[in-house]
Amino acid sequence: MENKTPLSPHIQIYKWHISSLVSISHRITGIINIIVITFVCLLASLLVFGENNYEFMNLFLSSLIGKFFILGITWSFSFQILSEIRHLIMDLGYGFNLKVTKISGLIVIIGSIVLTVVFYLIGKNIF
Amino acid sequence: MGQINLPNNSKVTKGKYFKDKTGSKNLRKINVYRWDPSIGKNPRIDTYEVDMDNCPSKVLDILNKIKNEIDPTLTYRRSCAHGVCGSCAMNIGGKNGLACTTPHSQINGDIDIYPLPHLKVKKDLIGDLDGLYKQYQSIEPWLKSNSKSETKEIIQSKKDRAKLDGAYECIMCACCSTSCPSYWWNGDKYLGPAVLLQAYRWIVDSRDEERTARLKKVADELKLYRCHTILNCTSACPKGLNPAKAIAEIKKMLATANI
Repeated sequence: MENKTPLSPHIQIYKWHISSLVSISHRITGIINIIVITFVCLLASLLVFGENNYEFMNLFLSSLIGKFFILGITWSFSFQILSEIRHLIMDLGYGFNLKVTKISGLIVIIGSIVLTVVFYLIGKNIF
Repeated sequence: MGQINLPNNSKVTKGKYFKDKTGSKNLRKINVYRWDPSIGKNPRIDTYEVDMDNCPSKVLDILNKIKNEIDPTLTYRRSCAHGVCGSCAMNIGGKNGLACTTPHSQINGDIDIYPLPHLKVKKDLIGDLDGLYKQYQSIEPWLKSNSKSETKEIIQSKKDRAKLDGAYECIMCACCSTSCPSYWWNGDKYLGPAVLLQAYRWIVDSRDEERTARLKKVADELKLYRCHTILNCTSACPKGLNPAKAIAEIKKMLATANI
């Protein structure tokens, strides 16, 4: 009888809001960042083994996938940093008002996109 | 990390459709989670067409209308109908709240009504809150003032009394705890927002003498630090309280108190 008792639906039915979205994205970008850092280290250590590897990396990074990869990383790091600042402020006990959490969440989301564009433009030597 | 998908016996199926018999033009579809332990089948969603012309303003009024006029087998908890007892806590339109204080005009389209999330269902909209009550008991939610006389009044300044505002109003309806993903995945160990708000309420009480012991008790990676400020709790609280802030305050006390 006990095993037959169903579990009520949870994540399937619960409404998302900005804070929960930022929180889950914080985790996901955190995992991505760790993988990316490992990958960048691997690429860097490839360079040690000679010129050909440099050619290979250059080819990869200037391809469409490579560019997408770089933009993705930039966004992921931007998001993580902004969200982390938000968490630090919350750890100090500020910004728990529902309106404030909404605004700070929006700042994180929009700010991460703005930062990505800024970094892209810096990379293009526009400034 | 918990299981994201529902176990097989909990998958929700399509249920019965109760067509309107009143002939009203102002109808609303209400989808209600149903599970009957005596049948032993998977839970289902029954849909009721409800005449909104003759229905008061709150979601609980709809449920009462369904129970009284359409389907008397519908089971749910309710008592005061004024947002004081916390019995009718459920998931309405994807968000936890009290059926008696949630106006149905706030929800667009069909209204989905589920029991509080990630609980063992006893019947229909009734979830099993035993685990939560045990955790509540574990924080010993009563005044401990061993040195002072039991018969004499313990005086509290207005300033100290004000610290309890925003914590003592909690009605333990469990809307916050059952809205918390951390509590879904680690509900057996993590105390959850409702219980931690109460823990905070006794920690900051100036009359209580076991503040340090209380702090030590909750200072545990799983009991306390599973809060990742998702803030589902604060946005769910029907009394407008802020459990997330209370948890942050406990964390802050632990970080500064040198225990």
